[in-house]
Amino acid sequence: MRTLNRKLVREVIRSSGLLLLVASIIAVGITCYVALQSAYHNLDLARQRYYRQCRMADFWIDLKKMPVAELDDLYRVDGVSEVHSRIQSLATVDLPDKDVPINAQIISLPDRPAVVINNIVLRRGDYFGESRRNEVIVSDKFAQANAIAPGSTIHLLLNNRRQELIVVGTAISSEFTYLVSPGSLVPDPEHFGVFYVKRSFAEDVFDSEAAANQIVGRLAPESRERVGEILRKLEIALEPYGVFTATKLEFQASHQFLSSEIEGLGGIAAVLPVIFLAVAALVLNILITRMARRQRVVIGTFKAIGYSDGQIFLHFLMYGLCVGIVGGLLGSLLGYLASAGMTLVYRWFFEFPDLESGFYWYTHAVGITVSMLCAIAGSFYGARTMLKLEPAAAMRPEAPRAGGVIWIEVALAGVWRFLNAPWRMALRGLFRNRLRTLTGVFSAMMGSGLLVSGFMMTEAQNFLIDFQFHRMLRSDVDVTFESERGIDALSDVRQMPGVDYAEPQFNVACTFVNGPYRRRLGITGLQQDSRLTIPYDEHGKRIILPTSGIVVTRRLAEIMHLRPGSRLSLIPVKGERRPVVVTVAQVADSYLGLAAYADIHFLSELVGESLAMTGVQIQVNPRQRTLLFQQLKHTPGVEGVQSRGDVIQKLQETLLQNQYVFIGVLVGFAGVIFFASIVNASMINLAERQREVATFCALGYTRWQIGSIFLRESLLTSLPGALLGLPVGYGLTWLTAFSYNNDIVRLPVITAPWIFVTTLLSAILFALAAHSVVQWTIIRMDLMEALQVKE
Amino acid sequence: MHEAAFSDPEILLRLESIGRTFRMGEVAVEVLKGISLTVPRGQFLAVVGPSGSGKTTILNLIGGLDLPTTGRLFFRDRELTTATSRELTRYRRDQIGFVFQFYNLVPNLTARENILAATEISADPLDIDETLDLVGLTDRAHHFPAQLSGGEQQRVAIARAVAKNPELLLCDEPTGALDFATGKLVLRLLVDLNQKLGKTIIVITHNSALAQVADRVTNLRSGEISDDRVNTQPIPPEEVIW
Repeated sequence: MRTLNRKLVREVIRSSGLLLLVASIIAVGITCYVALQSAYHNLDLARQRYYRQCRMADFWIDLKKMPVAELDDLYRVDGVSEVHSRIQSLATVDLPDKDVPINAQIISLPDRPAVVINNIVLRRGDYFGESRRNEVIVSDKFAQANAIAPGSTIHLLLNNRRQELIVVGTAISSEFTYLVSPGSLVPDPEHFGVFYVKRSFAEDVFDSEAAANQIVGRLAPESRERVGEILRKLEIALEPYGVFTATKLEFQASHQFLSSEIEGLGGIAAVLPVIFLAVAALVLNILITRMARRQRVVIGTFKAIGYSDGQIFLHFLMYGLCVGIVGGLLGSLLGYLASAGMTLVYRWFFEFPDLESGFYWYTHAVGITVSMLCAIAGSFYGARTMLKLEPAAAMRPEAPRAGGVIWIEVALAGVWRFLNAPWRMALRGLFRNRLRTLTGVFSAMMGSGLLVSGFMMTEAQNFLIDFQFHRMLRSDVDVTFESERGIDALSDVRQMPGVDYAEPQFNVACTFVNGPYRRRLGITGLQQDSRLTIPYDEHGKRIILPTSGIVVTRRLAEIMHLRPGSRLSLIPVKGERRPVVVTVAQVADSYLGLAAYADIHFLSELVGESLAMTGVQIQVNPRQRTLLFQQLKHTPGVEGVQSRGDVIQKLQETLLQNQYVFIGVLVGFAGVIFFASIVNASMINLAERQREVATFCALGYTRWQIGSIFLRESLLTSLPGALLGLPVGYGLTWLTAFSYNNDIVRLPVITAPWIFVTTLLSAILFALAAHSVVQWTIIRMDLMEALQVKE
Repeated sequence: MHEAAFSDPEILLRLESIGRTFRMGEVAVEVLKGISLTVPRGQFLAVVGPSGSGKTTILNLIGGLDLPTTGRLFFRDRELTTATSRELTRYRRDQIGFVFQFYNLVPNLTARENILAATEISADPLDIDETLDLVGLTDRAHHFPAQLSGGEQQRVAIARAVAKNPELLLCDEPTGALDFATGKLVLRLLVDLNQKLGKTIIVITHNSALAQVADRVTNLRSGEISDDRVNTQPIPPEEVIW
């Protein structure tokens, strides 16, 4: 065997170029697997540690006000292991160097350090001291983005009173791992932050002595599966205190974003590498078969000397194994580096105390094993072909392949007549080497599928932003009030400087009940002919709100099993809380969150009021924007001001930045598939047809003309493959959208001509790049030697 | 290509002290040692010699596939030794027809298409069907090489070389892979091309019996011309025995 191994080493070195190309496809697959799996573990483990460290809640219940003394009653509900009460509210922060009022989430913490649910992790400074009542701990990224440090003083508008607070520390907490302001998709730490205040201070400011408006709790581990049932019991127990929402961990905003990312990673880690490994196995099959054929006489000789079939078979499997080991190790290394890069990006999106890039030996072991298995599978057929040969037959050169008419020249005889000799050669070559051609087509199909799905994903994001923030929501600034107002509040806003146009909004939290399906959600009341929030139906046609009945978004309709004409019960979480039955008038298209709309008059009547509003949408004269913000900063009763222009800008910046990286990586990956498979097929083709090339040279063809014959073959496989990849990419996108479809985001599956054109152009460019290697080889080919090559 | 100082329109090819050395690793092998040769238009020249005498190297140099290490080579009044790769390609395309020992047909093209591959790039090609008729293969035009006998394949190869209408046909052991009877048919074809179409033909062979059909026989031995004589009485191919 030692001789065979020596031969193996020399052959591998001799064919290292082509073998490395196959290894590179495997490496990309393993890189994807290792990177995505490692990122998955990084996030998952960091989440587990963080949730343990902060004692993450299993549920949140927002209510009007309850005496803290009643809290112990909740322990009577079976499964509840711990509850904790807090005071929370939204507020605006007045930062002197910012025009826009900053939105803030206020949360109370015990005056002295204590082990509470949803605890904080201090990053800078200290916990509250004893002496001052008005101390505040600020979310760390907000502090960084706004240059706030322990010792700074800031002003908040709390319960209509401007309060001065002293920053003692900065902190993070697991319930805000993904911190986004309401209505946004990506973190914007400059414009939204969490402010932790002393409980005693919160009780004073919000007139809540010995009372709370939020309960957070944990369940006994064995009861977590029954969280829905337990929450319902808690809601009943808390009924007298006006429950607004009861949210289980599964639906908590930060947790939802984080989980959908983690699950998404796990899902892609299972699918994406398969594409690369399948292509690699097929390409390797072609290569090993060719290597085995080329060594036919040598194999015959070895057999004649007395080497067993098993030894010869293993010998050829070893070629594949070398490729597998190199691809696996390379993929493992690159995957580790890529996961470190991904973790850096995740640190921007998610706030963890210790999100580190770990080395998971089992992930690497699986990656390398899979890589070797894929390579063995790819070399199996080629190695087996040598087993069937009798030594005597093997020592004779292989009989030339029989020529013949291919079906296409019969079927398309009219066209065939007009083809010149190089085209005919290319076409016949492709049809005669069916497996090689199919491998080329398959590789191109997968490469182009990847490109299409990547492009479609970016198109979906851009469409989503355009739909949600330009077509559907058209206001420049949204103002929300702390409490309900009468219609006169609208006149007040219209009087403010810079307000070109304003519309009222009325948000009512309701429990939606349709048979067994229940969901707590807000209904948005709008003017019937609203100009600043425009719902559209699935055909993109504007929906005019009905005078009675509601419009629900598609995802909500799916969850609640509703369709136009369905009747459902609404239990408003305010007023008399009397269930009312309403009809679903229409289903609206929407891609972000769940929503329901109704005519503002109809909704007001529903909750027993004449005409009420909780917020105003405004169209602003850009030149007077600052004036408006200055006034809003000091307007009592304003809970939040959202400058949607800023939200959209932040969203676009973040998404675009990531899109460039995403598309870059994807094009690179697709490029590896295209390039490696085309170069491999062409070089094998060239090696088999050296004498043909020399003959053409002798006939007077230039080397470029000869190269063009090979280019024709490459294009004839790449282009149909790329075309077939278009629906494959569509399918991949559909699958991704389907698996990512959750309550936060519904990814639209949309195509655009540029996607197909760019994909096909990319396929051509990749084919040309791969061909340059082939052309270079043809130019450097030694004609005299090639003329002597035996058939 | 450079103009030669003195040119004779009847001289097609002139080799002046041609030497060719190949480097095989660290060893230099001198395959041709100062060959000088002049070939007039319309001549049927047989270059005869044993294996390793440098026959194929001479053919490759004349065919513009290779360049000599020393000496000068002229086709008519153009010097090939200083030609660029582009000029050599043009030269092969317009002036040279190659016939190889193992035919070198493209397996994926039919007989007719193999000829087409040559005529498509030629400036003044002959009619393909007439050429096929000339080599007696009209009824085999649409067969692929694998469906043809050795003799038929070599006739296709000759037709491919002739169809470009070149001045000079270079044949490397054209009967080497053929049986006796078929070999004689191929020789007849070459003689006819020489006599009827006036093509200059250079055949290289190790078989001195074949040389009997040529106008002139040049013997090569170890890279040098050992004998160069005019054959005043060439015999018809049918009478050759080997």
